[in-house]
Amino acid sequence: MNDRTRSWTSRRKWLLIAIGTPMIIAAWWGFRPEKLWINNKVDEPAPFGSTTEIEPIYTGLLQGKAHQTSGRASIYGTADHGQYLRLTDFTTSNGPDVHVLLAQANDQNLKQDIVTGKLEGVELGQLKANQGDQNYDLPASIDLQKYNAVVIYCERFHAIFGVAALERF
Amino acid sequence: MVRNIKSALAFVMVGFAFGLCSSAYSQDNMKHEKSAKPLATGTFHGDLHKTSGRATIYQQEDGKLILRLTSFKTSNGPDVHVILIAAKDAEDDANFLKSDTERVELGSLKGNEGDQNYEIPAGTDLAKFRTVSIYCERFNANFGAAPLERF
Repeated sequence: MNDRTRSWTSRRKWLLIAIGTPMIIAAWWGFRPEKLWINNKVDEPAPFGSTTEIEPIYTGLLQGKAHQTSGRASIYGTADHGQYLRLTDFTTSNGPDVHVLLAQANDQNLKQDIVTGKLEGVELGQLKANQGDQNYDLPASIDLQKYNAVVIYCERFHAIFGVAALERF
Repeated sequence: MVRNIKSALAFVMVGFAFGLCSSAYSQDNMKHEKSAKPLATGTFHGDLHKTSGRATIYQQEDGKLILRLTSFKTSNGPDVHVILIAAKDAEDDANFLKSDTERVELGSLKGNEGDQNYEIPAGTDLAKFRTVSIYCERFNANFGAAPLERF
């Protein structure tokens, strides 16, 4: 280090500190880079009593296939009656011998409007109505990791009216 | 004979059409006493600031609206808020000041991980404010957005 630069920095040392420090503080305050490593975890309970009876376990929106179908399919767990499927905001077209099934979302048959092979699924019962909120009990032993899609299925014509892929709530 | 078959066919057609056109309506109640009702829900997306989880709006018995985030995760940052925006969805880093998007402030983000609740001001029009955004007010950047769908 030669004399000139030394004298330049030492002459302006305090000036540099006076300007540099607020700049560093401002940059820190602006970006708060430590937050990249520091997580802030919370775990608030739901603002209502028993959560499993209001928050579903799975939910998904119904997409129309062979017939216009819309609404939401959710699976709830209850303390005493086991699990059930609930359709809300639901509309499909009326038809003959329409059933509610659980199937596997990646089943190739679900990509078609009319099933040509055999749709592997768990029968939940005849569709109670083509409009309105409705519940269907689930068999106790059902594996919802595997059967992760709700299908509105016309058994007579093998027509898929609508499908809802279930996602974890 | 042919006429008989024709009329039989006509009957079948009419019957079929009737089956399709008439509609059955049901109204099952939930299988338990409820103290809150979900109105809308959606999942977060955001890649630039990894954001994931679910946002759900509940209406409590007293009519109060609550936004609840579950399985929630985003990146920590300075001056991050939870807002509702009058848009169908929002892209990563969207600047709502610049795009002049109407917003409803719900408060500072309580934590960047975990379940949390926010009160929605009374009179908020949920048909209009239909997307939840995790928004960095300091840099006017959207960390993640959850478009809500009717429950």
